[in-house]
Amino acid sequence: MKSSRSLALVSLFAALLAVFGLIPKIDLPLGVPITLQTLGVMLAGCLLGPKRALQAMLLFLCAVALGLPLLSGGRGGMAVFMAPSTGYLLGWPLGAFVTGLAMAALPRATPGQTAASAFTASALGGLLVVHACGVVGLVNIAHLDWTKALLGTLVFVPGDLIKCGVCAMVVHTVARGLPDWQFGGRAVK
Amino acid sequence: MGSLYSEHRTWLHGLPAWFKLLAFVLLTSAQYVVSDLPVLSAGTALCSLLFVSLGRAVAPARKLLLSLLLVCALILGFHSLMGQLPVGVLSTLRLLSASLLGIALTLTTRSGELLAVLEAVLSPLQKLGIRTERLALQLAMMLRFTEHFFVVWKRLDDAHRVRTGKAGGLRLLAPLTIHMLTSARRVADTLEMRMGE
Repeated sequence: MKSSRSLALVSLFAALLAVFGLIPKIDLPLGVPITLQTLGVMLAGCLLGPKRALQAMLLFLCAVALGLPLLSGGRGGMAVFMAPSTGYLLGWPLGAFVTGLAMAALPRATPGQTAASAFTASALGGLLVVHACGVVGLVNIAHLDWTKALLGTLVFVPGDLIKCGVCAMVVHTVARGLPDWQFGGRAVK
Repeated sequence: MGSLYSEHRTWLHGLPAWFKLLAFVLLTSAQYVVSDLPVLSAGTALCSLLFVSLGRAVAPARKLLLSLLLVCALILGFHSLMGQLPVGVLSTLRLLSASLLGIALTLTTRSGELLAVLEAVLSPLQKLGIRTERLALQLAMMLRFTEHFFVVWKRLDDAHRVRTGKAGGLRLLAPLTIHMLTSARRVADTLEMRMGE
């Protein structure tokens, strides 16, 4: 059961990321778009736990690399891994993994507590880790210096903090609607 | 969901997927080692020629190409504003040639062929207990779920519009997630019946 459940959940969250890609992106001057897809990274980490969230992100990126136009604005194929936003894309699996790890470690006794933990975990994995990877990408691919890359990525932070809030609200609703759901991939002790 | 693959046959369609993927990996890796402007310019010119030689097959990638040119212009403009034009030119040439090769590969190779290469490359991982043969099944399920997600989202949005007269927007995310999680549970039960695990 565990294996088939993993299979279904991993595919489901990869699909969630694809659906978020259907929502139009907003382009910024750095060549890195604002999309709703990072919300999918946060939700995967909080709802699936580190291992399955990592698998879901890798599955999604694999589908993108195979040429499916699943990224915001209908982008896909190998070329998207050569763009200035590559660091952010490759940061998604790591970000989802860290979100899942944090979610598993944080308290989840009540729906309110679970939502607060989801906000913290998303900020840590979906925001901090993804942006750290994004900055490394901007420095290496767009050849910006570290200060400019760091300043550039700050443009995304307010929007991503709102996504952390949305993620916490979704987690709160799921905690009330599906009380037996194992957030962070672990049951509450 | 359609891929960016072009049905308009070109000379590149005839080459095997593994060869194109290997050439892509080698060429894009090589251009990150080279930092000599004339060599890199010649490489980008060759990549552009290869891309142009695909003719009408590049039509599905028109939007992608436009956004690529926009990003290149932005990088060039940004670096020239900072007084680092040579660095900007190098970055733009690398980005342009790698992206053109990537788009050419995607346009001329079916997803299924690339998937077969990927499964063959990953097959040694099976010795470590990783079930790489499931990749195709997971991709198929992902695409099925994407369509299903979209249909459910539309249905929830229609219901919200009827009730309130406004679009549901992000308010629908929580009910959609619950709906999809329960669907995933049902799918897992079905898989368990069929696969026995």
